[in-house]
Amino acid sequence: MATVAARPRLRVGIVKMASCDGCQLTLLDLEDELLALADRFEIVEFPEASSLRSAGPYDVLLVEGSVSTPDQAEEILELRRQAKLLVTIGACASYGGIQALRNWSDHDAYREAVYAHPEYIESLATATPIAEHVKVDLELHGCPISPEQLREVLVSVAVGRRPQIREEAVCLECKRKGAVCVMVAQGVPCLGPVTQSGCNALCPTFGRGCYGCFGPREQANATSLARTFALGGREGVEVSRLFAGFTGWSAPFRSVIAEYGGPPGMTPPAETRPEGGSDARR
Amino acid sequence: MVADERMPYAPYPSPSGTAVAATPVPVTSANGSGPWFLARANLDVLLDLLHEDDRKIIGPTVADGAIVYAEIRSVEDLPTGIGDEQSPGHYDLVDHGDRRVFDYTVGPLSPKRWTFPPVVPLNVGRRDGKAVSFEPSVLEAPRLAFLGVRACELAALGIQDRVFLGGPYTDEDYRNRRRSALVIAVNCTTASSTCFCTSMGTGPEARGGYDLVLTELDEGFVVRAGTPEGADLVAHLPVRGADAGQMFRAAEAIGKVAATMGDPVPTAGLHDRLLAQFDSPRWAKIAERCLSCANCTMVCPTCFCSSVTQRSDLDGDVSTSERVWDFCFTAGFAKVAGGSFRSRPRDRYRQWLTHKFATWVDQFGTFGCVGCGRCITWCPVGIDIRAELLQIAPPLAARPEPARPRPIASTPGSFATARIVSVRPETADVMTLTVGDVDPAFLSGEFGQFAMVAVPAFPPLPISISRFGRDTIDLTIRAAGPATASIIGLGPRDEIGLRGPLGSSWPIERAMGHDVVIVTGGIGLAPLRPLIDGLLAQRERFDAIRLYYGARTPNDQLYREELRGWAARGDIDVQLTVDRAHDDWTGPVGVVTHLFDRATWDGSRSLAFVCGPERMMEATVDALEARGLAPDRIFVTLERHMECGIGLCGHCQTGRLFVCRDGPVFSLAQLGDIFGREGI
Amino acid sequence: MSVSSLSLPPADPVSALSASWFGAGLSPEAVARLAGIAEVRDVEPGTELVSEGQITEAFSIVLAGRVALRTLVPERGMVTILTVEAGDILGWSAIVPPHRGTSTGIAIEPVQLLELPGERLRVLLRSDHALAASVYPRVLQAVSRRLSATRLQLLDLFAREEWSRREGQPW
Repeated sequence: MATVAARPRLRVGIVKMASCDGCQLTLLDLEDELLALADRFEIVEFPEASSLRSAGPYDVLLVEGSVSTPDQAEEILELRRQAKLLVTIGACASYGGIQALRNWSDHDAYREAVYAHPEYIESLATATPIAEHVKVDLELHGCPISPEQLREVLVSVAVGRRPQIREEAVCLECKRKGAVCVMVAQGVPCLGPVTQSGCNALCPTFGRGCYGCFGPREQANATSLARTFALGGREGVEVSRLFAGFTGWSAPFRSVIAEYGGPPGMTPPAETRPEGGSDARR
Repeated sequence: MVADERMPYAPYPSPSGTAVAATPVPVTSANGSGPWFLARANLDVLLDLLHEDDRKIIGPTVADGAIVYAEIRSVEDLPTGIGDEQSPGHYDLVDHGDRRVFDYTVGPLSPKRWTFPPVVPLNVGRRDGKAVSFEPSVLEAPRLAFLGVRACELAALGIQDRVFLGGPYTDEDYRNRRRSALVIAVNCTTASSTCFCTSMGTGPEARGGYDLVLTELDEGFVVRAGTPEGADLVAHLPVRGADAGQMFRAAEAIGKVAATMGDPVPTAGLHDRLLAQFDSPRWAKIAERCLSCANCTMVCPTCFCSSVTQRSDLDGDVSTSERVWDFCFTAGFAKVAGGSFRSRPRDRYRQWLTHKFATWVDQFGTFGCVGCGRCITWCPVGIDIRAELLQIAPPLAARPEPARPRPIASTPGSFATARIVSVRPETADVMTLTVGDVDPAFLSGEFGQFAMVAVPAFPPLPISISRFGRDTIDLTIRAAGPATASIIGLGPRDEIGLRGPLGSSWPIERAMGHDVVIVTGGIGLAPLRPLIDGLLAQRERFDAIRLYYGARTPNDQLYREELRGWAARGDIDVQLTVDRAHDDWTGPVGVVTHLFDRATWDGSRSLAFVCGPERMMEATVDALEARGLAPDRIFVTLERHMECGIGLCGHCQTGRLFVCRDGPVFSLAQLGDIFGREGI
Repeated sequence: MSVSSLSLPPADPVSALSASWFGAGLSPEAVARLAGIAEVRDVEPGTELVSEGQITEAFSIVLAGRVALRTLVPERGMVTILTVEAGDILGWSAIVPPHRGTSTGIAIEPVQLLELPGERLRVLLRSDHALAASVYPRVLQAVSRRLSATRLQLLDLFAREEWSRREGQPW
């Protein structure tokens, strides 16, 4: 591969909000390509892996994690200003993540119960996706994201083409692989039909129904799938539990959860609690 | 078109090239002609023979709770004593506890997985400075033997044969895979509640397309050969002639299966009945349940649509292109720069069902469905197409087949290179590339044809040929996305890949002796420019010529000097309008139909050629019909999502028509009420 | 491309009206009553014939020339949104309340008009119901034709796509 030393490298930053860091590590999973990538991209901010720091500007900013504290709500505004292209990576940044389950519950009550000195904990009542705060240019989904899709995004930025992220259900990946449908053959509930592909049907390949961690696909008919789960003899809370996972806060899954009585185990929300979106500090 | 649309398939010639016989080929042996009997204990001899012939055996085996096709080594791998119970959305294995190995029906996989694999490399595109090259990937087809193929699957193979090999453009990779696979069929001795091959006329008895066919009895198999290869296999098997009792029991078993199924899908007149229900409210009801997950299309043994993906290096200099399964239920399937033609799930479901049971007949002469029932079983929400099929009627006009020059690079993996000679910006986002070093086929292309234009690491795109020169062609391109923008960014001496010339053309001969009306807007003038060149080159053969051209603003008009030149000739009427203008424009402002809807010329003497955004064409067609032009004298050109340009990826289908191959130029009469229909 | 009107002899209202699209098919009595209050007028290019937001003084039929309908867009200045050609009507707001022009009409070529004063025409139509029954449908048809055109223009079918800034597809 020709090295083009004279061409200026694109400045890439990788930052996190409330997250587990798994998505950031996916960049390091591209180990075979790291040298080639370093040729085109200059990673100027990557606290997970490098002591180089930069507050911007960035040509590409990868943001992991959901907005969960007042500081993060401010920080994301400044980051947006510094970034030419803002790409959210992972279920937390794109959909709020598993921590978004707190959006349905009495946040104050949990904080009081868990922390000895709750007054020191600065936390928003909701954990929300980045897109609820600033304009997002592209979302990469998954928990964690797919290294292949991350590579495709970086290559596309380098070449100047539209990234080829397929808009299809997980079912296509399952069937292309020749995997047998766990729902039809084993009665295992699976969110694959309403979930975006990208993971190469990882969970169904091992006989486990899809968790929906890549989020709902376009025009996901979650209502119909939920009805099928319910017809299989499941009670309401069982159905909502299936959707109340990593991407439960997404609109299609949220409405199913609401229809089937809310996510299991949540404390009833206070009357005055707003539904979601950027929330005031306690 | 076959007389009985239920006739399932035209069996593909065997590897030796001779046509398959409808009756078995007798082997001259001491036993004389007729079917043979193979004892159960000797089934492994057949498998050994196949291995000795250096073949991998793809046969039934149990995996992950279903009977799938996989590579099998010996009879131990077969699903001995196992059967299945299927119903909408449910599949269960049952243990019969006996010794039979074929007492199941069909599982989620079909031979399609090997003849039309989910992922196939197409080519490697390279860019080196200004030169580009496309190296088609040629794969060695593995030597296989399919064991246990059912009658419905044989029919499906025949149907895909017709799709991939029966038209003007063929898929050689498919042909190689078919050629190198032996087919050992099995007559069904059981049926699921989801089977309906009897309705589709494809089973349960295998009637051709196999090398060998077995019918299972308790003690063994009744064997018939269908080809010399099959007969050759039999000659090496420890068979003896089947006796009358065995033949009777075999026939009786098959007959019982047919009786269990009955006729759940009456197919008489189904094509017409279904198409008449195009606007039925029932589609929306199905869409409430349908997940658009595409499972039905993937388990279907005849669905053939695909997409082309690129995987390139960071510089975009080397790019591997692959063909992957992609089906009409996915979001991007029918997308073009302006949006998606089929964005609603109900339109996608309607597309699938009407294609399978109606428009497939127009395209290929048979139904697309073989009655295997997989789509019913493997639908996660259990939609049963038998229940959903509607009843009613009218036939559509047959499509004409004009003769056309043979295009170059007309296989999925290949492109021929050409070199850009010069570029000329037409407007802020439109450029005309003059391309030379082109194959002579392009120079004898016809007005209205297009080329698939490819550059490594970008999807190939259909672009109209906007002029035919002596040794160059012009391509006028609008920057509507990254791929077009990258092509527009090229300059003199850059190379591009081309496939073509493709598609149907403006029927200029029909306009001789008549008035000609050309109505166009925006970049729609590009595919019409060659027609105008042609009309002006023989001006005396046509009566009045009228050009009506609308653009967004005066700066968005294409070919401005040529427009002035045409107007200055005095023998063609050129009228321009824009959607909006500043005060320096003193021409008409408004829509292009206003230029002629109150004119006084006689429409019954005219032929019209129209190109522009589809909504503009609809308004234009209404205005032309109001002026007295008949539908067989109004021609439009359609734009759809294309991945191959040669009718093999399935994306550009509109009703029964492939826009790339039957069009893109159509008369209104050909389109019928497809034109302007939502979500088609 | 339209015809310069200054080369035409001054037209007589009755024949001009009968020959126009608007007048075709009107009964001789209707033509006579309308022509009775009509005057032929020639105007120079640049003459403002209708003013957006102002009371429209006359209902006219364009006999020759071209009138540009314009509206002011603060960031862009005066933009022409439609042109009115020979045979079409101008100033229909003169007989439809609130009688204010919906755009500004400026002659961009020498224009010849058949002008009917608004107030007198309104009085005539109020008293002669048969005439009103012939006139208003024609006005509606002309306005409807303009409405369909405006809708198509609104769809901006030839728009240059700002694909680089579309949601989720930044480049």
